[in-house]
Amino acid sequence: MVAETNESTVAGSSTGNILEARDLSVRFPIVDGPDVYAVRNFNLAVKPGEFVGLMGEPGCGKSTAAMAFLGLVRPPGVIESGKVDFLGNDIFKMEEEAARQMRGRDIGMIVQNPRYSLHPMMRVGDQIANVYRAHNDVSKKDAWNHAIDMLRMVGINDPDRRVKAYAHELSSGMAQRVLIAIALSSTPKLLIADEPTSGLDVTIQAQFLDQMWDSCRQTNSAVVLVTQDLGIVANYCDRVVIMHEGTIVEDADVYTFFKSPQHEYSRRILNLQREAQEAGESVLGKIDRNAAPIVEVKDMSKLFPIRASESKVHAAEHVDFELRPGECLGLVGESGSGKTTIGRCVLRLVEPTQGEIIFRDRNIADIRRNEFRKFRGNLQIVFQDPLDSLNPRWTVHQVLSEPLKLHTELSGQAKEDRISELLDLVGLEPSMRFALPREMSAGRQQRASIARAIASNPDFIVLDEPTSALTPETTAEIIRLLMDLSAKLGIAYLFISHDLTTVKYICHRVVVLYLGQIVEVGTKDQVFNHPRHPYSRALLASHLFPDTTNRRVDRAVRETLEGEIPSPITENLPKGCYLYGRCPSQVDKCRDMPQELAVLDDGRSVRCWRVAEGDLPEEPAAH
Amino acid sequence: MNETTNPPGHTPTPEDIDQHIEPHMMIETVPTKRKIDLVRKFKEEKLFAFGVTIVALAIFLAFFGPVISPYDPNFATGNVSVGPPNILDWPGLFIDTVFLGADPPHWFGTDNSGLDIFSRTISAPRTDLQIALIAALLSMAVGTILGLLAGFFKNFLTEILMRTSDLLQAFPVFITAMILVALSGRSTGNIVVALTIVYMPIFIRLTRAEVLGQMPRGYVEAARAVGNSEFAVAFRHVLPNSLVPSLIQLSTTVGFAILLTSGLSFVGAGVRPPTAEWGLMIALGAPQIILGEWWQSIFPGVAISLTIFGFAAVGHGLEEDYR
Amino acid sequence: MVWRFIAKRVVIALLQLIGISLVVFFLIRGLDADPVARIVGLNATAEAVKQATESLGLHEAKLQQLANYLGIFSSSGKDGIMQGTLGESWVTGSSILEEVARFLPITLELITYSLIIAFLMAMPLGMSSGTRPGGFADRFTFVWGLFAGSQPEFWWGLMFVFVFFFLFQQAGWPSAPAPLGRLNPFLTAPESITGFILIDAVLRGRFDVWLDAAHHLMLPVFTLVFVISGPIVKMVRQNMLRVLRSDYILYARSAGLSRNKVARYALRAALAPAMTLTAIIYGFLLGGAVPVELIYSLGGIGEYSIRSILNLDFPAIQGTVLIIAMVSLVIYLVIDILHAFLDPRIAF
Repeated sequence: MVAETNESTVAGSSTGNILEARDLSVRFPIVDGPDVYAVRNFNLAVKPGEFVGLMGEPGCGKSTAAMAFLGLVRPPGVIESGKVDFLGNDIFKMEEEAARQMRGRDIGMIVQNPRYSLHPMMRVGDQIANVYRAHNDVSKKDAWNHAIDMLRMVGINDPDRRVKAYAHELSSGMAQRVLIAIALSSTPKLLIADEPTSGLDVTIQAQFLDQMWDSCRQTNSAVVLVTQDLGIVANYCDRVVIMHEGTIVEDADVYTFFKSPQHEYSRRILNLQREAQEAGESVLGKIDRNAAPIVEVKDMSKLFPIRASESKVHAAEHVDFELRPGECLGLVGESGSGKTTIGRCVLRLVEPTQGEIIFRDRNIADIRRNEFRKFRGNLQIVFQDPLDSLNPRWTVHQVLSEPLKLHTELSGQAKEDRISELLDLVGLEPSMRFALPREMSAGRQQRASIARAIASNPDFIVLDEPTSALTPETTAEIIRLLMDLSAKLGIAYLFISHDLTTVKYICHRVVVLYLGQIVEVGTKDQVFNHPRHPYSRALLASHLFPDTTNRRVDRAVRETLEGEIPSPITENLPKGCYLYGRCPSQVDKCRDMPQELAVLDDGRSVRCWRVAEGDLPEEPAAH
Repeated sequence: MNETTNPPGHTPTPEDIDQHIEPHMMIETVPTKRKIDLVRKFKEEKLFAFGVTIVALAIFLAFFGPVISPYDPNFATGNVSVGPPNILDWPGLFIDTVFLGADPPHWFGTDNSGLDIFSRTISAPRTDLQIALIAALLSMAVGTILGLLAGFFKNFLTEILMRTSDLLQAFPVFITAMILVALSGRSTGNIVVALTIVYMPIFIRLTRAEVLGQMPRGYVEAARAVGNSEFAVAFRHVLPNSLVPSLIQLSTTVGFAILLTSGLSFVGAGVRPPTAEWGLMIALGAPQIILGEWWQSIFPGVAISLTIFGFAAVGHGLEEDYR
Repeated sequence: MVWRFIAKRVVIALLQLIGISLVVFFLIRGLDADPVARIVGLNATAEAVKQATESLGLHEAKLQQLANYLGIFSSSGKDGIMQGTLGESWVTGSSILEEVARFLPITLELITYSLIIAFLMAMPLGMSSGTRPGGFADRFTFVWGLFAGSQPEFWWGLMFVFVFFFLFQQAGWPSAPAPLGRLNPFLTAPESITGFILIDAVLRGRFDVWLDAAHHLMLPVFTLVFVISGPIVKMVRQNMLRVLRSDYILYARSAGLSRNKVARYALRAALAPAMTLTAIIYGFLLGGAVPVELIYSLGGIGEYSIRSILNLDFPAIQGTVLIIAMVSLVIYLVIDILHAFLDPRIAF
C-alpha cells in the first residue's frame, strides 16, 4: 500500500530516514463502549530536509499520529503497538529522561490553537526560557536573553516588551510565532507542525509558512506538516501523505499527487473541487446585467463605540455596492476587514451607523425594527458554523416550521408538504426530518441551515462564510448545492469569505475589503487574474491555490505584506491610505493622503491614487 | 462517506473521537454519550441508582410518612427515654407486631418526653422535604426568569437587579436566614420564603451567566434573522437552552435547603417544637448525647445525611451527562 | 494595573458594606417583630411600653432612626457608625463593638485552623487523584467530595462527641474533653493579645493553656475539616483533571520539559480556583459555624448573633451582620489580590 515504507526493513539510520513510524496504533478507551483506534497500523518515513504534508479530513487521526511521533498521547489514549524510530532509536523504548531530552531538542512541535498551548499564567519569555534550559545548560539570565533573541528571529516587533507578555495579550498570529520560537529554540532536526496556520489570515499564513520553509531549508531540517488544506500542500510540500480512518492510504510526491491521485479518497476530494468549479461556471453568465439591482447599498458605515473611550471600531466605512437578481457577489478580506459586519448590516442584524440599504425600491435602513421583521422573509442568511446556528434542542422539522409560521400562511398538510419539498431541494433525506443538529454531520447541518434560509422564498441571501467550518470535501458539495439553488430559484447571494478558492468558483463580481474600506471592486476575472490594488495583489499572491503549476516557494518574488493587520480602532487607523506601512508600493505622499475609490477604464474601482493615475502599471498577476 | 450520521446512543467511531480532539483542542473529556437514558443509567451507575432510591424513599415518606408511622409523631407515649430494642430481636418483634397484633415496639426508642423516634423520623420528610422542595423550586423558577431577563436585556433595570442580587449574595447565608425566620415568625411558610430569598441569587447568577454564554451563539442570531421578536428569541430559543445549569443546581439546592432547614431548627430558629423535624429532633437529643442516650439524635441525623447524599448523587449523575 | 484593580475592588467592597448596612437596617424593622414587647413583656402597661419605645429610640421616624444609627444628624446625641461605633446592645447595655471584639476572634480561630488544615489535606489528595484518575485515591476522593460536600455538621459534631468523649471515656481511653468551652474551667485564660487563644498562650508563655486549648479545639476543628474538605478536594481534583488534559500541559511535555517542571505548571493553574473556593467557604463559615459553636459551647460570633436575633436586639443584629460581611469582604479581597498575582488574566 505504501511503497516507501515497505521497502525499508532495516534500521532507520541505515536507510537515511530521520523519522520512521512502523505499525503505529493508538487506542482511546471509551467509557461503556468498545475502544476506538484513532491511529491504526500507521507507517511513515521522513528523510532529512524533506517537507512532508500529512493530509486528511478531521477525525482521520492525523493530529494523534503527530503527537505519537513524540511518544505522547492526549489522555485517556494509549499507544497500543508499533514503533517510532528517530535517527535509529526507538522512541517508545527510550529511557524516560532520554525521550524527554529528545522532545524539544531534536524534534520541535508546533500545534494549532497556539493561545491555548501556552500556559495562561506565565510570561511567554519564561516559557521559552524554560524549554531552552531543559535542553541546554545555561543560566536563567542567558535563557531569558535567548528568548528575546528567538522572538526577534520569528519576526515579533519589540521583543523586549513582548517577552514579558502573557498568552492572552497576544494575537493568535503572535502566539503562533511564540510557539515557533519555542520549537526552534534548540534548532531541532525535525519539526512537526500540526495545522500551524488554522485561524490565521492568508497574508499572515504566507509570512509564517515562508519563514518556516526558509529556516528549514537553511538548517536542512525535515518538516511534517499536518493539514487539511490542499493549498498549503500544493505550495509548500515535497511529498503528500494522505491519511484516512487512522491509516495511510496514499504517499506520493506533490506533483504526482495533484496530477494523478491513486487512492479513491484522494481522487474524490480533488474531483469534487473540479466539479464545484464546473458547476459554478455553468451558472455564471446567465445574469441580466441591465436588470434593476435587487439590493443596493449606498454609503453605509458602521462604527462600534468602545466602552469608556472616545475611539470607535471602524467596522465598515462608506461602503457602496449593488446586486442584480441571481447574481453572486463575493465579499473578501481578512479578519478586521469588516466583511461580516457588512453582511449583518445589510440584514439589519446589526444596525448600520449611516447609509441606505435599498431593497427593490424601498430603503429598508429606516423602517422601524418591529415592522422590519416582516421583511426578513425576503432577506435571509446562512451562517458560518452550521452546528452553532441551529437551536440545539430543535429538530430539523421544528427549525423549518418557524420561518413558515412567521412568513407564510401554510399550515397543516400544506406546511408538511413544503417541509418535504425543502428537504428535497437541499438534498436532505426524509429520515433527517426529526433529527437534532448534533445527530447530523456538519454537511447535513449546513443543508438544514440553507433549507431554513430558503423556506420563506427569499430573493437575497447573505452567505457568511458558509463553508469555512467544513471539510474540503463537504465544502465542494455545499458550493454545488448553492449554485444549483441559485439557478433554480434565482436567488442573489452576497458571498462573504476569506477563502479565495471558493469565491473564485462561484462569484460573478468580487469586492475586496481592507480595514472596513472597499479597496477594489471588479469582475471575477479582473480581480483574480489582474488585481490592481496593492492589497488585492498581495492577498491573491498570499492565497494558496491547490495548484502545483505556480508554487509559492518556486516564485522568484514572493509578494507579501509586512507586519500584521492593525485592529480597526480610531487611533490605530493610518491618516492617509489605510495600507500605509505595509504596502510594498507606498510613497511618502500616501501617508497623509486619504484614498478615494476611483473607477478605471475597464469598469473596476480601485482605492489607490497611484493605480488611478497609472503610476502602478498592470503586471501579470502571480495567479 | 464523510456524511455519516450519528444516531442517538451509538458508540463513537474514530472520527467522532478525533473530531473532538483535533479541531477544538480545548475539549476536556471525550464525550461518550449524546442523549441520556435514565433507565440504563439507573441500571449501570450504582451511585446514581443509590441516589434515586434515597430520593424516591424520601419523597414517598413526605407523602405517606405520617400515615404509616406506628405512633402519632407528636403525641407522647408515656414511655420516656426508652432505648431501641436489640437489633437481634428486631425480626421477632417485627413478626409479633405484624402477624400477632402486638403493640409496635419503639424501633428507634423514645425521647425525653416519650415521643416515638421512629414515627418522628419517618414523618419528618413531610416538613423537611416540603420546605426544601418548595423553596428550591420557587427560587429556581423566579431566579431563572430574572437571570434570563438580566442576561438578555441589558439595561438600567436589569443592572439594578444584578447589583441587588450581588448584595444579597454578600450576606452571611445562615445569619440572614435566621433573621428572616426569627423576626417574621417561625412558621413553615416563613422558612420557605427565607430559603427562597437566600438561594435565589445563585439561580439568577447561573442563568445569567449561561444566557450570556448563549447570546453569541449562532442560533440566537439565526432566530432573529428568521424574524422572531426579541421576546420570542429570549423565551423560545435562549431560555430552554439556558436551563441545564439551574436544573443541575436544583438538586444541590434541595440538599442545602434540607441542611439549612434542619440547621435553623437545631439552633432554635426554625420550626417550633414539637413538630417532627430532623434538626429539631437532633437538637432535643443533643444534651442526652453526653449521657449516653445516643438514639435520640443518631436516627434523624442518619436520615438527613442520607437524604442530602442522595440528592447530591442524583445531581452529580445528571451533571455528568449534561456536561 | 494591579493597583487599579485593588482600588476598584476596595471601592466596590465599601459600596457593598453601605448597601448591606442599609438593607439590614430596614429589613429587621420591616419584618413582623416587636422588640419592645420582648423587653417589657406582653402584659406591660401602656406607660411601660411607651417608656421602653422611647428609650430604644423606636418612637422616631424610620429615617431618623437610620440617621441615629449612622451618626449623621443624630437626634439622640449619641455616636453612630460614622463616629466608629456600632451602638449599645438593648439587652446587655454594653458596647456592641466590644462584645463583637470578644466573640469574633473565637470564631475566626476555629474556622481559620479548620480551613488551613482542610486546604493542606485537600491539595495533595486532590492532586494525586487528579494525576491518577481511576486509582484508589481517586475513587475515595470522588465519593468523599460528593458525600462531605453538604453534610449536617451539627450532627456529625454530636456523633464525634459521643464517640470520642462519651464512648472513649466509658472505655477508659484518653478521650476528648467535654464539649463545654475553649478551656478547662480550672485554667484562667491568658490576657488577650490577638484573641486567638493558641497564639496568645504562646505569646504569654502559658504552655499549659496551649495544650488544654488545643485539646479543646481538636474536635470542633475536626468536625469542620470533616465537612469542608469535601468540596475543596472535589474542586482540586476537577481542576487537576482539567489542567492535565489541557493543551498547554501537553505542549509543555512535547517541548521536553522535565516531569517536575510540568507538575509545577499544572499546580500553578490548579491552585488559583481552589484558593477562591476556600475564601468563599471562609465567608460562609463566619456566620455558618453557629451549630458547631453551639455544640462545643465555644461562644463565638455565631452564638452571639443567634442570641441577638432571638432577643430581637436590633443594634446587635445590625452590628454582627455588618462586621461579618466586612470580614468576609476583606477575605475575598485578599484572595482576589493573590489570585490576580497568580493569574494575570484576572486584573486587566
